[in-house]
Amino acid sequence: MKIGAKDAAVILLIIILVASWGYFLTLGRPAVPTKATETDTLIIARDISDAVSLDPARAYEFSSCLIVNQLYDKLVDLRPPEYKEIEPEIATEWDILADNVTWEFKIREDLTFPDGTPINATTVKLSLDRCLELAQTAAWVIEQFGMGGNITVVDTYTLRIKLAEVVAPRLFLSCLTFTSAAIVNPTLVQEHEVAGDLASDWMTTHSAGSGPYILERWEKDVEFVLVANEEYWGAEPKLKRIVVRHVPELTAQMLQIEAGDVDIAWNLLADQIEEITGVEGIKVIRVPSFFKDYLGMNVNATIDEEKPLGDNKVRDAIRYALDYDAILDIMKGGAIPLQTFVDSGIPGYNPALPYFRDVDKARDLMAEAGYPDGFAVELLVQPTLYWPDLAVIVQDNLADIDIDVTITTITAAEMYEIYRAQGHELILAEWGADYSDPDNLAKAFADYTIRQLAWRNTWYNDYASNLTKEACSELDTVKRLEMYAELTDYVLYNGPYAIFIQGVYQYGVRTWVEGFYPDPTFFLMDFSEVYKEAVYK
Amino acid sequence: MDLRTYTARRLALMVFVFFGILVISFVLIYIVPGDPVGAIYPQAPPYMIEKITREWGFDRPLHEQFLSYLWKLLHGDFGKSLLTNRPVMQDLITFFPTTIELATFATILAVAMGIPLGMISALKKDKIPDHIARIFAISGVSMPVYWLGLLMLTVFYYQLRLMPGPGQLDPYIKYPPTVTGFLLIDSLIAGRIDAFLNYIHHLIMPSFILGLFGAAGIARMTRSSMLEVLRKEYVRTARAKGLRERIVIIRHVLRNALIPTVTVIGVTYGMLLEGAVLTETVFGLPGLGQYATRAAIHLDFLAVMGSTLLIAIIYSFANLIVDVVYAYLDPRIRYG
Repeated sequence: MKIGAKDAAVILLIIILVASWGYFLTLGRPAVPTKATETDTLIIARDISDAVSLDPARAYEFSSCLIVNQLYDKLVDLRPPEYKEIEPEIATEWDILADNVTWEFKIREDLTFPDGTPINATTVKLSLDRCLELAQTAAWVIEQFGMGGNITVVDTYTLRIKLAEVVAPRLFLSCLTFTSAAIVNPTLVQEHEVAGDLASDWMTTHSAGSGPYILERWEKDVEFVLVANEEYWGAEPKLKRIVVRHVPELTAQMLQIEAGDVDIAWNLLADQIEEITGVEGIKVIRVPSFFKDYLGMNVNATIDEEKPLGDNKVRDAIRYALDYDAILDIMKGGAIPLQTFVDSGIPGYNPALPYFRDVDKARDLMAEAGYPDGFAVELLVQPTLYWPDLAVIVQDNLADIDIDVTITTITAAEMYEIYRAQGHELILAEWGADYSDPDNLAKAFADYTIRQLAWRNTWYNDYASNLTKEACSELDTVKRLEMYAELTDYVLYNGPYAIFIQGVYQYGVRTWVEGFYPDPTFFLMDFSEVYKEAVYK
Repeated sequence: MDLRTYTARRLALMVFVFFGILVISFVLIYIVPGDPVGAIYPQAPPYMIEKITREWGFDRPLHEQFLSYLWKLLHGDFGKSLLTNRPVMQDLITFFPTTIELATFATILAVAMGIPLGMISALKKDKIPDHIARIFAISGVSMPVYWLGLLMLTVFYYQLRLMPGPGQLDPYIKYPPTVTGFLLIDSLIAGRIDAFLNYIHHLIMPSFILGLFGAAGIARMTRSSMLEVLRKEYVRTARAKGLRERIVIIRHVLRNALIPTVTVIGVTYGMLLEGAVLTETVFGLPGLGQYATRAAIHLDFLAVMGSTLLIAIIYSFANLIVDVVYAYLDPRIRYG
């Protein structure tokens, strides 16, 4: 058989391809690096495209808040490794006065910003007033207490904040740990103010804080570079420099951590974490986040002229139909079980896991509710990450009780527009705690008057709403926790949700990095204790 | 019509083209369902969403928003990006230089690969080298960019350590101060040869991938025009005069065959200047492609409008320049 030039060319190319493929298959993993380069510099690979502003009064994105928390101090803080107990920072002590709405803070004495500007009660007042005056999105965390105009300086180191109403101590204090409550340098604000913007434009790309780090540089979608604040009043930061490089491709992050070119790969997915687990020189650090995933059920949705989701028996049936193990499986270590609305790690956490897959029970509930033949329903879901897989599991599970689910995959912009307009039937979504207190979660999941999740799912339950309000203002911690135990149980068994997992943050970290304790939120991370060993372990 | 008049006429017509693009883009963006404010801040209280919507004017009637946008545009104001909270013009100035650097290198590589491939194919027509060259060119265009990018990173960066990882510079190399926004130029201004060379090293893989795309078209045009020119009588005459084959090919064949190839090069460069979101994402390059795509996904209206307008301008000018150069190179070409 005569082989033409064309055939010869194709054969030659195939041989080259197969040979090179075979060669690379035999390569295996390259030799791991054994020594940390530049032990005083931490390199982080992370997608930082969401960062908008480093002004604490504006910062509300994950990347922005991560950096802001290194640059600024707050009155109080939640610290690593546990991030559980409120600890003094700029304030040394605090108390509620007799009227139960006025808080008095004692400010740490003889502190200054790097330029020598003193930190005192006036500085704190100016910082909080500034945040409230700018009234950006992030301000709501402290704005909700109605303290605008009610912050007074008693003396150089004593500040009083009067709230509009009685709130639980933990609630108010945990809100003060949010980055919008950061203390800013008034000298720099005055110096860089333009057209009444309170220096917000300048502070977008500059630091004006007293924190352990100072911003050296921020290039949008390129990097953040932080350098240690040598005038820091607290313990000297162990790292001299922190570089957060923008690496939007997660496989590239994985390759970089394996190659030893970065110290922390921040955004790895479950599959990639699986890939690097057990690799010499890399450790995986996990922390349960304050984010949970749930199935939302619109109580008022009309389906075939009826409102099946309005009957709690139907909602219970759905909760019993779900395969929680299968859902955990697809998360591959990136989640822990959770069925109540307060996450593990937040006071008021309820570990109850009463629901499990019981198709027979679910069918009985459906029959009792008057839907023995089920009904058709639409499920909204985003097309990203693991959401489509979750939707398929839900669809499959509900088919067993004759609920015919049509999955509609739409963008987040469209999904949230429909959700906020109460236009959905079923929806797969997530919700994160904005601060380490059960109130913000109760307000979202139980209090329809706040117009968040309970309202979006048309669950107008006065009992849950009133209990939320009572717990918000309960000063007795023990009693308050009892209220949340009651409320979480009530929402668990009656609410328009099937909560199934609490997300777990997973980080790829070189073993030469020590002291890295990631926070469960997005604004509490503290790098001042992180350091690098010279030789990896 | 002489070339000057033709150029002036094209420039004048461009204004109408841009206006048409603005109208179509505006309408398309607004009819896409979704609330960008609610999506960017899914947990913000409703009153905050309403406040932001009012502040950005998204609650105004469509025609009012468009006229307001047009008025500001005429004064050089492209509006503000919802995602970055910065003027769109500032964003474009930030991200476009990286795209220019990447596009320029990619085009150089495309030409460096495409023309020799086309020459080989033409000169060794229907022989093994011709087939190999054509398969190589078509493979470059056929392989998915994302996959090829990750493959190259895995092999050349991770396994063989011959190439650097993602980003513009190695993690431990400090950026020079930003002066022009072009990292290559800023490195030279700061006297940072290490950063200059490192960035070029970082550009090799992404430029190669984008260059492969361009190389296919360039190779094909070079091949077909060389084959046409090789059949001309003046080539036969040159050979009959006893000129060396190398002189015949370079001075007589290639010089004339490259005229149509120039148009392909110009169009390729124009397309690359629009940004290459997949390449930029895989290699972590902060370019226009990533910016425009992210804006589109998040319904960042004004950023989408600004990016679309910039791309329209680039493409229109690239085509105009190509047409003008073509007419200049080939006196037989007349417009009008």
